[in-house]
Amino acid sequence: MLLPKLEYLAPKTIEELTGFIEAHQGKAKILAGGTDIIPNMLSNLYKVDYLIDIGGVEELRDISYEAGKGLLIGAGAKLKTIEMSSVVQEKYPALQKAAGEIGSPQIRAMATLGGNTCNASPAADTPPALVSLGAGVVIAGKKGKREMLLEDFIQGNRMIDLKPDEYLEKFVIPDVTPNSACRFDLITLRAGVEIDIASIGVYICLDDSKVIKDARITMGSVAPVPLRASETEQLLIGRELNEDLMDKAAEMCASEAKPIDDIRASAAYRKHLIKVLTARTIKETHKAIELSSGTGSNR
Amino acid sequence: MKQVIELNVNGMNYEVAVDPQDLLIDVIRESIGLTGTKKGCGEGDCCSCSVIIDGDLVLSCITLAIACQGKKILTIESIEEKDGKLDPIQQAYVEKGAVQCGFCTPGMIMATKALLDENPNPTRDEIKRGLSGNLCRCTGYIKIADAVEHAAEQLQKRSEN
Repeated sequence: MLLPKLEYLAPKTIEELTGFIEAHQGKAKILAGGTDIIPNMLSNLYKVDYLIDIGGVEELRDISYEAGKGLLIGAGAKLKTIEMSSVVQEKYPALQKAAGEIGSPQIRAMATLGGNTCNASPAADTPPALVSLGAGVVIAGKKGKREMLLEDFIQGNRMIDLKPDEYLEKFVIPDVTPNSACRFDLITLRAGVEIDIASIGVYICLDDSKVIKDARITMGSVAPVPLRASETEQLLIGRELNEDLMDKAAEMCASEAKPIDDIRASAAYRKHLIKVLTARTIKETHKAIELSSGTGSNR
Repeated sequence: MKQVIELNVNGMNYEVAVDPQDLLIDVIRESIGLTGTKKGCGEGDCCSCSVIIDGDLVLSCITLAIACQGKKILTIESIEEKDGKLDPIQQAYVEKGAVQCGFCTPGMIMATKALLDENPNPTRDEIKRGLSGNLCRCTGYIKIADAVEHAAEQLQKRSEN
């Protein structure tokens, strides 16, 4: 198995990166970890004239947390680094779990958060967790920068809102809020190096009287994009959580899922899995808020 | 037109002529002649091709050779004792019957080395997680996990002496 002929560019600075992208727009792709792009090119999914390797641009790997602002993660940050980061473990466990479940230790040492989003597979693990965390993205290019919510950036199966002269610079995840938690769960056929058959990110925020005041539920692998279960969110908001509400939410979320039949699972089974995952993850998230209530940490 | 690049493999510098699209595993095996690293699936799934680059366990079959300039690459050939004896990890695999056809073994041993370098005293679950990418079609994995446990014990004993 050989790759088609290509040219390789390795910028060392943001200026060089921007210059290369501008010069070769439409004929180039960014090479981050390579764990999607190289296998995809080996399978003839696409080919490019230029690969622009961002591995040498250190700023794109930065992970920094600032109280009051939140977490900034460079598009080139490795999944392994995110998984092992103490601030991610402590404040954003949904992201830690999503990043830590991808592929194998080998893949996680190579792959990047930006690559997982930009490859935009419907079964990508990090987007549902990130969307439920309220993540935004910063897109950059010679013409300047723009920001948008991640759920607007991912537009379809392998489609993102990125112009040929732009690149994904970083993710912006809001700071933790009191009385809230976010959790992520997934189901795969085998333990590792597997493509999810269903996944879910659940964010819940309670007010002082334990009423749900905000919710973000994002399903993965059951639509072309990470899918917000907006009707289920509306069902929950303004109510206090009990068994009955949880069951109703699980049913409603399963009805909002839009899965297909494929070699890994049937649509019907995926809907069933969403029902199970919703109940389980809402329960886990709610419990996390109860355990940490008053401390203001997103645990 | 091929470019001449320098790759540092197992502590030695090799000058090799590569095209930008050449994969690291092909350059290691064919240009440099170190055939211990195996190409199983060739698409990043089986982890037979595992090597260690700048301390990270990675997949050489989906890495461009040209992207590895200036990095320290370790292959299975770096796992040996000075006097030609087997490294404790290799010895543990032999003693525990963890090798059948041997095709997955170089990748398994590199994953084992990476795991034990980071976590010298792993639990059984941590061992399973550390080797979770590496596929074996022969052994059923139990003896491989036993070998990693045994290797950890032996390496601990050695460092205590």
